[in-house]
Amino acid sequence: MKVVTGIPVLDDMVEEIPEGKVLTYWIDPEVEGNVFAMQTLFTNLESGCKCAYFTLTLSPEVVLSEFEEFGWVVGSYENFTLVDLYSPYVGMPSTCSLNADPSNRDAVDSLVKKTIRENDLVVIPISSMIDVCGEEVAELLGEWCETAANSGSRLVFTFVSWPYPGNVKKMVANRSNAIVKVGGVHHRVILGYYYGLVKVDWKNIKSRAILFKLVRPGGVRAYIPKILVTGPYNAGKSTFVHAVSTRAISVDRLGTTVALDHGHLEYRGFSIDLFGTPGQERFDPILRMLGKEALGVILVVDSTKPETFPRAKQMLEEVAHFGLPYVVAANKQDLPDALSPEEIRKRMFLPEDVPVIPVSAIKGEGVYRVIDALLELLTGSWQVSGDEFEIPA
Amino acid sequence: MSQMMCRILPEVELKKGSNIMVYGPTFSGKSIFVRSLFRDLTSEGYGGIYVLTRDSAESFIEWLGEYYDPEKIKIIDCVTKSMLGNARDTDSIKRETVMDLTGISAKISKFFEEFWRSGVRDVVLVFDSLSTILMYMNLQTVFRFLHILTGRVKMTGAIAFYIVEEGMHDEKTIVTLKQLFSGMIEFKEENGRKYVRFVSPFKKTEWSEIAVDENAVVVV
Ligand SMILES: Nc1nc2c(ncn2[C@@H]2O[C@H](COP(=O)(O)OP(=O)(O)OP(=O)(O)O)[C@@H](O)[C@H]2O)c(=O)[nH]1
Ligand SMILES: [Mg+2]
Repeated sequence: MKVVTGIPVLDDMVEEIPEGKVLTYWIDPEVEGNVFAMQTLFTNLESGCKCAYFTLTLSPEVVLSEFEEFGWVVGSYENFTLVDLYSPYVGMPSTCSLNADPSNRDAVDSLVKKTIRENDLVVIPISSMIDVCGEEVAELLGEWCETAANSGSRLVFTFVSWPYPGNVKKMVANRSNAIVKVGGVHHRVILGYYYGLVKVDWKNIKSRAILFKLVRPGGVRAYIPKILVTGPYNAGKSTFVHAVSTRAISVDRLGTTVALDHGHLEYRGFSIDLFGTPGQERFDPILRMLGKEALGVILVVDSTKPETFPRAKQMLEEVAHFGLPYVVAANKQDLPDALSPEEIRKRMFLPEDVPVIPVSAIKGEGVYRVIDALLELLTGSWQVSGDEFEIPA
Repeated sequence: MSQMMCRILPEVELKKGSNIMVYGPTFSGKSIFVRSLFRDLTSEGYGGIYVLTRDSAESFIEWLGEYYDPEKIKIIDCVTKSMLGNARDTDSIKRETVMDLTGISAKISKFFEEFWRSGVRDVVLVFDSLSTILMYMNLQTVFRFLHILTGRVKMTGAIAFYIVEEGMHDEKTIVTLKQLFSGMIEFKEENGRKYVRFVSPFKKTEWSEIAVDENAVVVV
């Protein structure tokens, strides 16, 4: 029986979760990442696998209703088992035939093992288990993984990476054959969510980050980051969008953009959508609309026209409203009277930490450096890396 | 900063990014104080996020009365879901359960993002109350949760208030929690009279006497 993750793009990468393997969703504490495990479970439930789900912090009724919010009526599947470690904990009678008091470590241990032996796929919220049962519970992971290996079933762990001691994190990471990080694009707030494969020991693949949204009903949907390209009239926004994009269209009339430029680019494992705004003032509402969706901003200025800098600054203020990180593309550097990036920074009173990149959009020079600089600002946590845990060789 | 706050604790200026513990015995007025503060700030233009663990969103909205504006006031109700199960979420009301710290954390973060993206930079967050969470989850777990939350509050420059019931927790719990907060608004009751003061590592005000009704706290 083939067991998959049921997560878009991820299945293309890992193909399947082989027998005896452990896949961990490693979740940023401010991101709704449990859905990943729920989606994995439901996908396999539908294809006839025997699946079990442990709950510790939610009552069985709430668990079922959370699944249903996404359109997954797990309760109606005979091959579904809910294991209740919640009700005994809060002192309520359990509605599930499989239940145990989480403060009884032996009872939990044997119930987990039994469940693993009897199912093809078992979802265990490891961090909740640590929260409720204590850190010592992490020491049981080894035996659970062994049980899975011996009985040919698969484990899916959800691990919310609260600030646990390093050895606890390491223990969970070491037991995982694959780790999928579910994280947030941190700026001052969390501007977006991503997931990416940090490690997998049954395939050899390069990691890649995918942004996602949660859809109710529906679940995890991959989505493409939107970058706003703005700047004064005639600065070269449309030219810039076309220069970096693999495909692009503009809605122009008489050489000026009247609606939007839209470019799409595949770059460093990211799918990116660029939206160029019209430079004329009467189009500011469009800018405002896009700002609610975007992840970052590229401000294009004509380096030969300092008289347009006040307008550029004004557009930046519009954008500042959305609180997005931005970079400045100092365009038309091929022209003799172009001001240097440093000169532009000075005249526009831009803070030191704002990248100002010299560009000639028309020649396609420096344009990817602008994308790099913006990705750099956005990343920090966005890039999928194993920084949080040592990945065993 | 809220007029009520100015009258009651005139010397205290709450800086952006502050995490304040609101501490005192039951019925000492701390809940009314925090609610009034929240009501004042949101009507002055602050975005508000209110986490409820003891009352439903509906009863809080009723208390707010004409001050309730779903654009400005976002509620995380940790009561209704475990009782009714089927109460629906809206854009401004999310239902979670008290033990689901991940769910609560994600919803708070989502509201921060919404305010941020719509240009609202002043945000007030109230956690009413931490004591309920501490009844279900151990101190370490709650500490880790608060570590992330107070960090986010600092990062966004919001102001947050966390209600803690006096007498419900041991000494160690209070000492541990205090490490996370930049200050404390403390309430006490003596001979039937109520008092409040502010305490932080840098400042300690005198006790000032207050009177409390169901809508507001006033200086006596
Ligand atoms: N020399 C030079 N000319 C450029 C460069 N980039 C754009 N241009 C020219 O500048 C003019 C405006 O370019 P667009 O890309 O249409 O500018 P825009 O910002 O989209 O203009 P609006 O949509 O009207 O605001 C065109 O004539 C371009 O050929 C550059 O790097 N160097
Ligand atoms: Mg154009």
